[in-house]
Amino acid sequence: MNDIGEFTLMVALATSLYGTVAYVMAARGNRIDLYLSADKAPLITWACVMISSIALWKAFFTNDFSLQYVYAYSNIELDYFYKFSSFWGGQKGSLLFWALILTTYMVVVHFQNRSKSLVVVPYAMAVMLAITAFFLLLLNFSTNPFERIPLPPEDGRGLNPLLQNYWMVIHPPTLYLGYVGFTVPFAFAVAALISKNLDDAWIRLTRKWTVVSWFFLCMGNLFGASWAYVELGWGGYWAWDPVENAAFMPLIVATAYLHSVMIQEKKDMMKVWNMSLILLTFVMTIFGTFITRSGLIQSVHTFDEATLGYYFLGLLFFIITACSVLIVSRLSLLKSKNELDSFLSREASFLFNNLLLLGIAFATFWGTIFPIISEAVRGVKITVGPPFYNQVNVPIGLALLALIGVGPIIAWRKATWSNLRKNFLKPVLFALIGGAILFPVLPLSNRSEVYTYIAFILCIFVLSSMFIEFFKGTVARRDLHKETTIRALGSLIWNNKRRYGGYTVHIGVVMIYAGIAASQSYGTHIEKRVKIGDTIEIKGYMLRYEKLTAVQATSVKTRIIAQLAVEKGGKKIWTARPEKEFYKGQNQPVSEVDVRSTLASDLYVILADFSEDESATIKVYYNPMVKWLWTGGWVIALGTMVCAWPDRLEQRRRLERLKRQQIVFSPAQE
Amino acid sequence: MISHFEKLLSVFVAVLLITIASPELANAAAVLADLENALMCKCDDKCGKVLINCTCSTADKNRKKFAKMLESGLTVDQIVQQQIEKYGETVLSAPTKNGFNLTAWVVPFGALIFGGLGLRRLLSGWVAKNTNTRSSDKIIDVASGGNPSNSRNMASNQYSRRLQEELNQLET
Repeated sequence: MNDIGEFTLMVALATSLYGTVAYVMAARGNRIDLYLSADKAPLITWACVMISSIALWKAFFTNDFSLQYVYAYSNIELDYFYKFSSFWGGQKGSLLFWALILTTYMVVVHFQNRSKSLVVVPYAMAVMLAITAFFLLLLNFSTNPFERIPLPPEDGRGLNPLLQNYWMVIHPPTLYLGYVGFTVPFAFAVAALISKNLDDAWIRLTRKWTVVSWFFLCMGNLFGASWAYVELGWGGYWAWDPVENAAFMPLIVATAYLHSVMIQEKKDMMKVWNMSLILLTFVMTIFGTFITRSGLIQSVHTFDEATLGYYFLGLLFFIITACSVLIVSRLSLLKSKNELDSFLSREASFLFNNLLLLGIAFATFWGTIFPIISEAVRGVKITVGPPFYNQVNVPIGLALLALIGVGPIIAWRKATWSNLRKNFLKPVLFALIGGAILFPVLPLSNRSEVYTYIAFILCIFVLSSMFIEFFKGTVARRDLHKETTIRALGSLIWNNKRRYGGYTVHIGVVMIYAGIAASQSYGTHIEKRVKIGDTIEIKGYMLRYEKLTAVQATSVKTRIIAQLAVEKGGKKIWTARPEKEFYKGQNQPVSEVDVRSTLASDLYVILADFSEDESATIKVYYNPMVKWLWTGGWVIALGTMVCAWPDRLEQRRRLERLKRQQIVFSPAQE
Repeated sequence: MISHFEKLLSVFVAVLLITIASPELANAAAVLADLENALMCKCDDKCGKVLINCTCSTADKNRKKFAKMLESGLTVDQIVQQQIEKYGETVLSAPTKNGFNLTAWVVPFGALIFGGLGLRRLLSGWVAKNTNTRSSDKIIDVASGGNPSNSRNMASNQYSRRLQEELNQLET
């Protein structure tokens, strides 16, 4: 099976190269025979990569340690659940996994667009096949997952204990689905540039792909934060690690794109800008891959054998150069047909939103690469950690939060002062009342707490503006169609999925803001050495240390579990069981924290240390509102689902809008 | 004459500068946390984590050592200085705010202000151009017999027809 896996990788490479060339030649020479031949390439490439992946999975499940990759990331004792996820636990497998997702997406795009534009689609398929070929080149000639060990060992080294967590099965695939997903809009953007079809057709063809990829990237970031929270045992969820930044940056740039593209759809403006943003989003996804696989920047996420930096640097250089040349050469076709009516308009607010989002993305990028710049200029490698990002990004993030409230309620084209007064009066009033209520309650003793106070006021402003929008729409519909309130709300959302789905996403984002603000400022922790029967008190909770037990979980894993009874107001509410896990052959034990999570706060208990006399060092964190982050994530998921739901009415509305704005049609773009 | 936008911008810049420059007010209980936040973990594994976020045995030892140093009367700055002498600047979790490192702090805000000014210029240009276009449209419209839709309709009849066809197809 290993031979088949290796062989199919080679066939996949040959097919993807053939497909790339054939699609381009078919499109340029208008040759339908070549097009029909090239059209088989995506499916064959996908089938080959799938067979190769199945071969690698089989090697993991059958403990085939003749493969160096299986030996390095698995062992006989490893649970099947983790044998499945070991596939993407190292560099070689993760590249194959990337190729698998990319080819799967490619096949879906292929079937979706078979009967559509014969001008743009072949070029888009060629771009996707070319990117697939790049990954297959690496897999075949630089980092082959089917590399053999001449004398196979009896057992493997095993998966890193930190990766033996259920999030390992969820977080990397989610993130990859997002990362790889942006290849689709990127491919269509490049295809539009090459074929000079620069109306908004490529945007419409890829809108759902963009939304879904954005969603996966967003959830991937949140799942990663959740994993760090429960697995790393330091009480936090985000450390501004270079690789976390690498996943965060494309998300931010893609968010800017999702907003500015609405201006192009509404007013046929910002074509160069949107094109640049989607290209930048894709570049950022490759930059993230470059960071994890180059070993250039120190990170907890870096792969052990990070040796592919030059390949990805070359790819980055090629993409940036080629796309820049393409955009510059098509500038005359990308010229906007319309202009902006006023500073006081939704278009302008979206542009400022773009400015702030890109400001955050740039600050994050700058912080990530500054150690390299410092080393090049001064010869001193420095570290850029959380204090930098918090000081730089928090003020920009707060300005962005304010704009989240402004955007949806300011009028398109031109808002008048009376219109502004009418729309903003109530949200501003609610925010001020909320601020006045919170002022005596919240401590304001340092900068972080002041920021949190401002964040809460802005959250109230945004949430009230959103709920007023829902309320006004529901009431209007109820009165017009004589429906019940619930039914009116349902049909309001169903008939305007993009709009109200978007508002729902914004509500989720506000919840995340609130969760971050509260947990960063009002959290507290205590560390205490305790003996059996001793107590620890924190924020009204009393934890009584009851016992310490050792459990031999498997032949390679021993669990040391501390048990603490948690009381509040004299009543037992929970039993905490934090533990330390010891793995054979590993220097450091792994902390398994225990968390009691409510919307108000998390009680986060860590077994930091223990002795043979059963005394233990227990760390307890009181983290307020952390659950708002995860709940906000699910609200975003709900909103995205509404946004991405197929909408026939939307197509009709678009055509009617275009009819009203006949001027946007241009013979030059036919 | 300073415009409203420039006034707002200068207030924004002032707030940002105060944000960067103002010292953190810390209470006694948070001093150790501040120290842990300011330093990176220097374990053999090169974990790359800030000390406050690291759970390895080296980090635990260092925490205890720093707590004792603080109890002995050393200040956070003195301990940080000691660590810099031992490991170099790389032990700090964020760049210092002097010399070349200052660029790390200034460039993001500089880029934002630069971008804001550029955006403002772009928007002003668009708004002005649009106002001019509307004025000239009125003149053309008057010349074309006072019917405001004549000039546009003449140029786009064929596209309207195609649009109607698309709409009809959608209906069916």
